[in-house]
Amino acid sequence: MQSLTLPFIAIAGLAVLGYFLAKSRALQVSEGDIRKLVSLPSQHALNAVLATIVPAVAAILLISLYVRLTDGTGSWFFQFVVIGLAVTGLALSLIGIKTETRARTFAERWILGLLIFASTIAILTTIGIVFSMLFETFNFFGQYDWRDFFFSTNWSPNFRGNSDLGIIPLLWGTLYISFIALAFAVPVGLFAAIYLSEYAGPRMRSVAKPAIEVLAGIPTIVYGLFALITVGPFLRDYFAAPMGFGQSASSVMTAGLVMGVMLIPFVSSLSDDIINAVPQAMRDGSLGLGATKSETIRQVVVPAALPGIVGAVLLAASRAIGETMIVVLGAGAAARLSLNPFEAMTTVTVKIVSQLTGDTDFASPETLVAFALGLTLFVITLGLNVLALYIVRKYREQYE
Amino acid sequence: MEDMYHADRAMSTQQDIKIKADKVQVYYADNHAIKDVDVEIADKTVTAFIGPSGCGKSTFLRCLNRMNDTIDICRVEGDITIDGEDIYDPKVDPVQLRAKVGMVFQKPNPFPKSIYDNVAYGPKIHGLARNKAELDEIVEKSLRKAALWNEAKDRLTAPGTGLSGGQQQRLCIARAIATAPEVLLMDEPCSALDPIATAQVEELIDELRQSYSVVIVTHSMQQAARVSQKTAFFHLGNLVEYDDTDKIFTNPEDSRTESYISGRIG
Repeated sequence: MQSLTLPFIAIAGLAVLGYFLAKSRALQVSEGDIRKLVSLPSQHALNAVLATIVPAVAAILLISLYVRLTDGTGSWFFQFVVIGLAVTGLALSLIGIKTETRARTFAERWILGLLIFASTIAILTTIGIVFSMLFETFNFFGQYDWRDFFFSTNWSPNFRGNSDLGIIPLLWGTLYISFIALAFAVPVGLFAAIYLSEYAGPRMRSVAKPAIEVLAGIPTIVYGLFALITVGPFLRDYFAAPMGFGQSASSVMTAGLVMGVMLIPFVSSLSDDIINAVPQAMRDGSLGLGATKSETIRQVVVPAALPGIVGAVLLAASRAIGETMIVVLGAGAAARLSLNPFEAMTTVTVKIVSQLTGDTDFASPETLVAFALGLTLFVITLGLNVLALYIVRKYREQYE
Repeated sequence: MEDMYHADRAMSTQQDIKIKADKVQVYYADNHAIKDVDVEIADKTVTAFIGPSGCGKSTFLRCLNRMNDTIDICRVEGDITIDGEDIYDPKVDPVQLRAKVGMVFQKPNPFPKSIYDNVAYGPKIHGLARNKAELDEIVEKSLRKAALWNEAKDRLTAPGTGLSGGQQQRLCIARAIATAPEVLLMDEPCSALDPIATAQVEELIDELRQSYSVVIVTHSMQQAARVSQKTAFFHLGNLVEYDDTDKIFTNPEDSRTESYISGRIG
């Protein structure tokens, strides 16, 4: 990449040069009367800048990708090509400046290209993530039987070999903790949203809504500390120990409740926006029939907002499944398959971290299992997102 | 069913006073929107409120079923009685009142539910049906009265939002009459409809007069002349003139009324 510094400086220089050249040339072509020009001098200048930068930068990206894939080395030839493209783009745009040139539409076409490129990045990244995971996962299944991975109920990695790497206890921990988190966050968040959007006055709303959203800004490691030093011991001393559920401060319940608190703003803030988007005409119609406010909310407003609320809940579910820090500090790191919510358990994400930290050898199944775990998790959250999209699309704009 | 709902009012005659308003004032915060309105609305009659935009006719209509209660800054003074009962008395539950005084809005606003559930909504809330068969009967009766039964009977489970604009408005009328109201308030019910749907709704309003006292706010003077027996002209928050529709449109007493109906103000 060192070799690319020079082309970047050259392109930037050419672009600045192009800006001033195009502007002066446009003025020159207009013979002092810019009303003769179809496009303004500044639009010609913008077109020249974009024509210089865009193809050259695109070439840099393509060349560096090509060099990586072929394991080749960069050479002066590539730099020559890049700078050549920039010069050509500049020259062509300058030659093209005439009174009737529509530089405005040309410049907009370059910008359209940039917009398309930006949206492709997100899609390509997703594909890239899948492929990088897929590759290592294949390596893992080359060394470890997939049936043992998916169906074994025992997780005991052993760095000297002969490990049991069953995903079931981890998946169980993930789903159990997420379930508790959602069982806490969904009602609380939804009720908070209903209060804020339907009952709270404007002053209350202007204070309460940002205050709830502060929760979303707290780093998850801070939630983890809260779980470790406050919620965990509290649950152990007041619930688990007296009721004979065990003596562990780290528990599914601890992590689930704290994670639930973390998710409240996701559910409440999105649901609040969605409930607010339900037209006032719906409420008037129901109130006009002699329904009470609460009947109106239960039978008209919430059903009309339901698709959006489901979307919010599934978004929260994706967050819960991917959460790591709260689980490490709140639920511990012991893989266990148990129904007792006051016992320590762990999740897929925590085990991915622990398998990849420390002295690791990227050829052993004990390390590679992390990629298989990651891919499984990715597939689950992707499935949830697809489901959310489907539900939202199917019921969208129903009240219009 | 019809008889059961209205048996108690079978004896009433055309000239009975259903709603009586006395010195009604409405304020939106500091804005005095309705000034000293006195009006007597007869039972089994269509009463039209006309007047230029912002004259307070919709505001006054919304006083009659206390829909203004849902607006925080709105304040109503004076007396409004329905069948002699003060509807702003603290003992009166606005929710109960609205079951008795139904309302149809300017823009059709069916709930995002099936046609059946839209109509059954009110009767379910107020417990008007003891079982499914009775509910079915109320739904059919209401849809028939709203002249929507023939179009809707094969698609009762389809969403009400899938109907055309005119059908949606008739669905809203069916929904309002399903709760067996005594008064039906209509706030520009045809302003979002095409002429054909408007004609259907107007015909319907004329039929509804047999059973209800109908109050309609309209911007169309032709519509007021076609459907109503009594007309009230509002201007700048005042009730300028209230008389038989024929008289208002042929021989108004107030010069402002004459200017408005002949198109000089408004």
